[in-house]
Amino acid sequence: MVMARLPGMLLLVALLAPAARAETRACISPPELLDAGAPLPATVRAVAGRSLRILVVGGISVLGPGTSGPEAAWPARLQALLAARRPGVAFEVVVRGRRGINTAEAGALLAEEMAKAPAQLVLWATGTVSAVRGLEVDEMVEALNTGLDAVKAAGADAVLIDPQFSRFLRANANVDPYLDALRLVAAAHQVPLLRRWDLMRYWAETEQVDLERAPKPERVAATDRLNDCLAQAMAALLRAGAAEARDQLRN
Amino acid sequence: MRGLIRGSGATGTGRDLRVDLFRGLALFSIFVDHIPGNRLGELTLRNIAFCDATEAFVLLAGYAAGLAYGAALDRRGWLFAAASLLRRAGALYVAHIFLFVVFAAQVGYSAGLLDNPAYLDELHLDPFREQPYVALLQALLLRYQPAFLDILPLYIALLVLLVPALPLLRRPVLLLALSAVLYAAARLLDLNLPNWIDGGWFFNPFAWQLLFLAGAVLGYAPPGPDGRRGIPPAVPYRGWLVGGCVALLAFGAVAMLVAFEAPEWLALVPEQVGVVLTTIDKSALHPLRLVSILALAYLLGHAVPRDAAWLRGRPAAPFLLMGQHGLPVFCTGIFLSFLGRLALEQSDRGPMQLAVNLAGLAALVAVGAVAAWYRQRGEPAGGGRAAARAAGLPVPASSSTTAA
Repeated sequence: MVMARLPGMLLLVALLAPAARAETRACISPPELLDAGAPLPATVRAVAGRSLRILVVGGISVLGPGTSGPEAAWPARLQALLAARRPGVAFEVVVRGRRGINTAEAGALLAEEMAKAPAQLVLWATGTVSAVRGLEVDEMVEALNTGLDAVKAAGADAVLIDPQFSRFLRANANVDPYLDALRLVAAAHQVPLLRRWDLMRYWAETEQVDLERAPKPERVAATDRLNDCLAQAMAALLRAGAAEARDQLRN
Repeated sequence: MRGLIRGSGATGTGRDLRVDLFRGLALFSIFVDHIPGNRLGELTLRNIAFCDATEAFVLLAGYAAGLAYGAALDRRGWLFAAASLLRRAGALYVAHIFLFVVFAAQVGYSAGLLDNPAYLDELHLDPFREQPYVALLQALLLRYQPAFLDILPLYIALLVLLVPALPLLRRPVLLLALSAVLYAAARLLDLNLPNWIDGGWFFNPFAWQLLFLAGAVLGYAPPGPDGRRGIPPAVPYRGWLVGGCVALLAFGAVAMLVAFEAPEWLALVPEQVGVVLTTIDKSALHPLRLVSILALAYLLGHAVPRDAAWLRGRPAAPFLLMGQHGLPVFCTGIFLSFLGRLALEQSDRGPMQLAVNLAGLAALVAVGAVAAWYRQRGEPAGGGRAAARAAGLPVPASSSTTAA
């Protein structure tokens, strides 16, 4: 029975494989992780005005290390996804990240950049350095509270992004208090949180992307795929946040 | 197994089994919470309250210390009690250094498995790789406390702090007033012991001492007129106090559940109110965390009668055994959590989750049972302690496996 079916299945795989490789594969994520939970009014206004400037700040992960090239990093992929979806809108994605900066340093970078050229949407990835180095949780929270207040005062939207999931990190650093604090901060300020930790954990569990278990020759491809999945997840989160903002405007 | 539990025979013995039970539960929770990715951790106290097993552990450790070293103080004087406190702190220090070596080996082992040294360099997780000799020195000075190794240094500092505070157990109001002043100074002036990498200790001992000493005051039983020790006096039952405690804990449960399960509901409260939730720090024991654990202890103390029959039942037995031998069980739990983390690093699916938690529980109960057996064997036969006490002879201080 099984043997008889096998050649047919192989044929099917052979026919489908090239087509699947050619276009972006959708990453499967639990829908509750892509729920914004908060509106993005400034983003909706900017898109209606046909020009959205997005500022991405954070540590090394926003630069897409280990990818095949700059265009494979998730901020660049996000820009491509947004542009393909809304052709009439000019999307500008500015990335400001440095290896090993903590939340306060990222906050300073953010303030500096906003003073230079205001963005309507800020994507802030943080928490990894604090968790790895065991920095004080309340210092991270204070820096976030200050930074998010400043973004709101500038009339922009913010989205927080929590650390990247890794089994190694989970076993060797106490990440949970920082993840919990980020969720609390996002909820308190009513800004969406891209739960990258839970998303990446889900992708690893469902064997969609598992950077730590990828063999060396496939590592670059897996990193590209991870960045693509992150961009898709962020795009979905932004769509949800924009929809919430439009709902609020209507009511 | 129940034969190994002290004070489980006849009712009315001096030992408060409730303290042992909740201490056992706290010890198991600490083991569980020290393994990130452990699904059982979603059922522990930290998910529905401002406080967690750490607060429970410190409060009950204080209680045990007040009971044991308070008794030593009354029988043998301050110098003897101080010496036994320092001996205990020394044992904990050695245990901590051992666990530190285990930590270093664990990081090395899982880094080897990772086969991606570039990733490690990025994280700067491994100070050994960068400055091995300095890291070692800082660890010995307790100025370098890697992840998951922060409770033992706190415990050591608290025992050392108890040395000068011990005589004041007889004047609890003064002791708590001084302790509260130190707590306020720690919070307002950022007074903390230094940490090598950045800032201060993860658990600020100058803040946490208030909870520990509150436990010690509750555990200290002043000698009666006939020289015999009674039961530590309980905080009396007051309707308004019970109401306040219930309201506080309900508020904590709602706040935690909303923040993590339905964050969009926080849109209904002003942003400033939400931001207050983010500032409930664990490091310097935020007042809300402090009063939450005290409220929980007060309610449980009055809800569970001292002689409740189920305390002597089969399900409570494993936790009683763990709670009665806190020190070896605590250190073993921290050690086992290293193995648990390595196991979940390999696979965090259902069977491994089950295996880690069951093996951990069984091992911790076994440690408690061995300690209890050893203690029973070491005791003079035929109720020697009671006979010695009746004859007015000096009674040996509590066994090293039970005190604090």
